[in-house]
Amino acid sequence: MSSAAMGTIILLASCCSLIYAQGADEQMLLHPPGDSWPIYHGDYSARRHSRLTQITTQNVKGLSLAWAFQTNQAAAIKSSPLLVDGIIYFSVPDNVWAVDARSGHQIWHYNSPTTEGEHIGNRGVAIYKDSVFFLAPDAHLVSLNAKDGTSRWKVQVADVKKGYWTSMAPLVVGKHVIIGVSGDFDNLSGYLRSVDPETGATQWQWDSTPPAGTPNQTTGGMTWMTGTYDPDLNLIYWGTGNPTPVLNGSTRPGDDLYTCSIVALNADTGKLAWAFQPSPHDTHDWDAVETPVLVDGNFRGEPKKMLMQTSRNGYFFVLDRTNGKSLLTVPFGPVNWTLGVDDKGQPIPNPAKEPAPDGRLIAPDEGGMTNFRSPSFDPINALFIVDAHPSWSLYFAKPADGVYGWAGADYDVWGKGTIEAIDYQTGKIRWSHELGDESGAGVLTTDSGLTFTGDSTGNFLALDSSDGKTLWHAGSGAHIVSSPISYEVDGRQYLLTSSGSVMFAWALPEGGISIEERATAKSGH
Amino acid sequence: MNTERRLMTHLFHKTLRAGLPWLLALTICSAQTPTKSAKTAAAGKTAPKSYPPELVQKGRALFRQECSFCHGREAGGGETGPDLTRSDLVAKDVNGNLIGPLVRNGRPDKGMPHFDRSDEQIASLVAFIHTQRNDSLAAGGRRGNGGRKGVDVADLQTGSVEAGKQYFEGAGGCAKCHSATGDLAGIASRYKGLKLEEQMLYPNDPKSRLTVTLPSGQTITGTLAYRDEFTVALTDSAGWYRSWRASDVQYKIDAPVNAHVEQFSKYTDADIHNLMAYLQTLH
Repeated sequence: MSSAAMGTIILLASCCSLIYAQGADEQMLLHPPGDSWPIYHGDYSARRHSRLTQITTQNVKGLSLAWAFQTNQAAAIKSSPLLVDGIIYFSVPDNVWAVDARSGHQIWHYNSPTTEGEHIGNRGVAIYKDSVFFLAPDAHLVSLNAKDGTSRWKVQVADVKKGYWTSMAPLVVGKHVIIGVSGDFDNLSGYLRSVDPETGATQWQWDSTPPAGTPNQTTGGMTWMTGTYDPDLNLIYWGTGNPTPVLNGSTRPGDDLYTCSIVALNADTGKLAWAFQPSPHDTHDWDAVETPVLVDGNFRGEPKKMLMQTSRNGYFFVLDRTNGKSLLTVPFGPVNWTLGVDDKGQPIPNPAKEPAPDGRLIAPDEGGMTNFRSPSFDPINALFIVDAHPSWSLYFAKPADGVYGWAGADYDVWGKGTIEAIDYQTGKIRWSHELGDESGAGVLTTDSGLTFTGDSTGNFLALDSSDGKTLWHAGSGAHIVSSPISYEVDGRQYLLTSSGSVMFAWALPEGGISIEERATAKSGH
Repeated sequence: MNTERRLMTHLFHKTLRAGLPWLLALTICSAQTPTKSAKTAAAGKTAPKSYPPELVQKGRALFRQECSFCHGREAGGGETGPDLTRSDLVAKDVNGNLIGPLVRNGRPDKGMPHFDRSDEQIASLVAFIHTQRNDSLAAGGRRGNGGRKGVDVADLQTGSVEAGKQYFEGAGGCAKCHSATGDLAGIASRYKGLKLEEQMLYPNDPKSRLTVTLPSGQTITGTLAYRDEFTVALTDSAGWYRSWRASDVQYKIDAPVNAHVEQFSKYTDADIHNLMAYLQTLH
């Protein structure tokens, strides 16, 4: 073959590789284009803020159903879907679907029933090149071929017989698939594990606590949710769960590191860079696993690389993510369990509000001031917007309850759902939007000034990000237990939401989009 | 802008309650034939039923997979879900006549999903749940490792009756709406222990009043039946459900139960224990 012919072939090959789907490579994960949502959070920062502007505060009232995908099974969709190369990937326990983002038709469906591990929910999958990574409830990481949903390999990542199970959406960082574990009913140590995407072999493991059985030390610190990543610092940021035994702290005096903590680890080695503890010596089951959102911006006049978390215990934390130092700690709803905040910015738990034999009235409830629903950071309005749950509860623990697992009892008394838009520099709530008796949905904001979420009776909502006023709604008929995403396909912006066991895709009506609007639908990061 | 602050429970809750007798009638019972009537079983005149170990084992495994996150591995309560070993419904259940429909329909208003399970699977869950309850009763309420524990009536007796009466009539503000000899007479016979304390802090299924003013000026009033941002509804004096688009009408919601919510931030734990002591004297 002549060199000219070889050159032509090579040129053609590289052109084709740009045109045809390849799955998500490292560059796409670092800089997700507007026609994608390749990570649970959308991107590594977890701001869950879309740059797409085709849907605006003026035209959102015309948003209508583009298609619905029915999973035809009972489990509610709790996963945040991915969108890569026109294909949507989402999950429930034991199941992963690949759906055509244009038509809503099924491409493939992976279903491998397991009988071990709690089947309470699955937060989603991760994608790297042409592999989709999924955590089965029985604590196995599965690698699926993204093209057809067949299983390539399966590795055990925790021992389900000890009481671990898995439910979170893995995070791919470089050549690491990072997974976390669940399990509060036993005195087990939580951990993060990094796994090779090709083989499933363990690369490193970071443990939240000393080994189970260490005298006067805690267990727990489960890594229930997906963390975030700063590529410049090469640090992953992760929240850890509550200590065990849960409601009785007598066998684990002290702060119980690193439970209820936000930790920064080196992405390649898993070594701890720094740690901050939203709930030292927790006795209320308040995991600090809520999304650690990464924001670069000014904090009271100074440029800062920040990390923000609305935590289950009712406090909003802003940290300097280069070193873990506290910038702001302030409640975002009623809290009654602290003696204040110490000079590290960490709440000081009030011993009089620990669970007691005759009960203690505690704000918030065990589910917390917020839980798994994703918040969003809106840089346009400088607001941290979160689904909040002001609430009250009773907590009990007595010696007869023992010191294993739950070791007590708690009961919700009252609560409601509210979307709160928090000024991140002061903690003041600039606007709030009532949702009803319970929590609503996760939050997505857009560059065109929209906040997408849902209320507690199944209405999907579009709000004006500047003041929280409702601009559009649609009743879905079931509880929403997921967070919305947005992407662009064929020059059309879609909002993707779920409620119950159905996925809904929304867009402006076909005829209603002008050529100019299509052309200005923004892509890029 | 409306005046109330809390939404009523969803209409579905009311529909489910109305439909429950029909659901019971249609329930496909387990393969086991009841040996005694439901009435005598509830009255405690029968020995606790024992189930075949293999069935209990199957139920244990299925319970672990699907139910244990909320209800605990031993059915003693877990994250958010109640202790089934102390549940009234489980106590009254005979061979799954109550448990079966509840599993299949869920409790959407309380956050429990529904589960499509076969008759055999339901029967195994029933066997496990009843076994757990029986074992718990036999052990005097103490249970094995891991599960959430319960609250006994004896746990809640740390208050002072006199201090509770003063709080009721004074700082607590209870006497503004309640009367020890009126609406609360006999409350201690109707509710005991934790259920009384929960009811005291925030009553189950409180009734609010909705008054709607139509564009014509006509007003209609009734018990609030449903409310979200877009729809308000009431049950009128004749018992009919009537709804309106919230944007079409003026409306006012009178929710006396809100006084309970306002009190949360004012209670000390001692106030709560004292109030419990006082209410327990109202037989």
